Amino acid sequence: MKFLKTLALGAAFAVSAAFGQARAETVRFWYHFDNPANPMSDLVKKFETANPGIKVEAENVPWNSYYDNLYTALVGGNAPDAAMVKLFAQPRLAEMGALEPIGKQLDAWKGKADLLDNLLDLNKGPDGKQYYLPIQYVVLYLYYRTDLFQAAGLQPPKTCEDFRNAAIRLTNAPQTYGFGLRGGKGGWDQWGAFVLSQGAELKPGGLTRPEAIAANQWLVDLFQKDKVIPPSAPNDGFQEIVAAFKSGKTAMTIHHIGSSKDLVAALGDKVSAVPVPKCGNGQWTSYGDESLAIFSSSSVKDAAWKWISFLAEGQNNVAFNGATGQLTVTKSGSADWKLHERRFVEATVQSLPFARVLPQTSAVSEFVNTAWQTNMQQALTGQITPKQMMEQLQTLFAQ
Amino acid sequence: MSRSNPSPVERRTLFSWHSERLLPYWLLAPAVVVTVVIVFMPMAQAVFTSFYDLILFRPNASKFVGFGNYVKLFNDPVFWTALWNTIIWIGLTVPLQMGLGLVAALLLNREFPWRGLARALIIIPWALPSVVIALMWRWIYDPNTGVLNDILIYLSIVQSAVPWLADPKVAIYAIIATLTWQGFPFFAVMILAGLQGIPRSQYEAASIDGASTWRQFVHITLPGIAPVLATAGLLRVIWVANSMDVIFVMTGGGPGYATHTLPLYAFVKARQNLDFGYGTAIAVTFTILLGAFVVLYLSRTMREVER
Repeated sequence: MKFLKTLALGAAFAVSAAFGQARAETVRFWYHFDNPANPMSDLVKKFETANPGIKVEAENVPWNSYYDNLYTALVGGNAPDAAMVKLFAQPRLAEMGALEPIGKQLDAWKGKADLLDNLLDLNKGPDGKQYYLPIQYVVLYLYYRTDLFQAAGLQPPKTCEDFRNAAIRLTNAPQTYGFGLRGGKGGWDQWGAFVLSQGAELKPGGLTRPEAIAANQWLVDLFQKDKVIPPSAPNDGFQEIVAAFKSGKTAMTIHHIGSSKDLVAALGDKVSAVPVPKCGNGQWTSYGDESLAIFSSSSVKDAAWKWISFLAEGQNNVAFNGATGQLTVTKSGSADWKLHERRFVEATVQSLPFARVLPQTSAVSEFVNTAWQTNMQQALTGQITPKQMMEQLQTLFAQ
Repeated sequence: MSRSNPSPVERRTLFSWHSERLLPYWLLAPAVVVTVVIVFMPMAQAVFTSFYDLILFRPNASKFVGFGNYVKLFNDPVFWTALWNTIIWIGLTVPLQMGLGLVAALLLNREFPWRGLARALIIIPWALPSVVIALMWRWIYDPNTGVLNDILIYLSIVQSAVPWLADPKVAIYAIIATLTWQGFPFFAVMILAGLQGIPRSQYEAASIDGASTWRQFVHITLPGIAPVLATAGLLRVIWVANSMDVIFVMTGGGPGYATHTLPLYAFVKARQNLDFGYGTAIAVTFTILLGAFVVLYLSRTMREVER
């Protein structure tokens, strides 16, 4: 009997060992890093050493076509097992049935308690289930040139009125302009600080309220009437606003901590940051999220979970953010954070109380991807009025 | 034994019938199969898709709408804007490229030191990837840090920086200038080849008869390169019409819809908004419009072949 038991046990071991050998699982993972010197291969190596049965194929997909490629791969049946994803994409991915709920794994995971408070709530799916595991975050704030403000005897602006006055004072066109507005792709989050703060909302009737239209008019006037924004604004993207700020063409711009290293390298102590100004009675800034998700089409979900949770743990997450220049989602990692200057971390933390994400509806994806940009450009260049812009955008959120 | 085998003569006719009648088809077959699979099948599928209301992230809500997408298209003001932009785009880019190419070819056809080097260097814009060219020119045009405005201000041609790509009235012409720069070497090289095919004796005879340089150009050079101009021009119309990579990188179709051309609009709809039904309807409509040029090109090449 004992002999039989031993034999059975041995056989079971042999089978499981052989099986384990044969099933060296491969996790296909998509991510996007702007930083060319990215440490993903180090993280992959560390993970594969700790988990010998799992191989990770990590692919850096260019950001400009990241979601186009992701949706197409999902529909075409060739999706990765896991990927970096943002909140605005969650409703579409959920509607496609592409996401795998990870609530159970999260509850059993030892790293859960180390995640910063509130992040999991912010990341909840439209149906209340948890699909996203946060990996990094940023909050948009106002960059300003300390030397130019000091020379003009100005304080960093706290309200929209202060902001406009400072911008007017600091403008000496065509040499310098007060504010670098991103009117091209991806500029909706700057726009939000001035318009979503004053009662505009991305829902039926939310954009055509009188106060929302007035706020949009105020912003367009900064460009057309006050002329405190460079004339290139309608086509300016991230590269352009950063280049103009670094070269001293603009005295203020709105972006997040991800660009602080680059700006400090160019400007040193002459650059600092404060939360975006309070406009009317409200203050709004964009919470820039990034999470990891597992796709329902994956055949190696357990291995994929091991990989994504590995990236969200303490020091791994710090290494990950070292490459992206963003902020860690873990308490242990935040405790002694050395990747950014203190003043930028403080501006970020001070902005958290009013940092928001856009509502999770499918129309928001179109708003972010194309609609905001075309309408803003038309309004800035006078092809339509700011009121017409809001009315056209409202049609996206008709139901 | 010997009866069952065909005689050598019989075998030769049988074999040669096979080889001479079928051999061309056999040789063409691989190309035809590849073209059918990677060009005609997707084309047929695009026509099919354009009759559906198909949004990629709502695969289950897809339904047949017949000509619904086309009706929507003709009522879409953006479609007409994009069509007009496409006409400007082709109508200016191709003649400008051809004109510049002609001038470059005439210059390169003259004797001068380092001519070989000049001929090699002129290819560079044509050899660079479109995306590189688009990024390069985007920075050249940049009003805050770009070199073009710096030069113009230095020469006092303009008083303040011109936002070349941010002004809806100027943006499309700025991109046309970029594409002209990129595409003229193609014409230059084709025309240069044509020029060298014109016999020297014709010029000698003309100058003996007392024809001026201009008359030599009009009556010898132009007729000599006319077939090249026509074929290269038609080919280029088709290429330029379809090229959207430079526009996409430089402005993404903006500001507003100021630089939307039809292929770009189809791309934005299908790939960025994932509205494949509507996107393919735009693409199919544009293909039909461009078809006229394709027919012209094909009938030309057919004539050339038969000649």
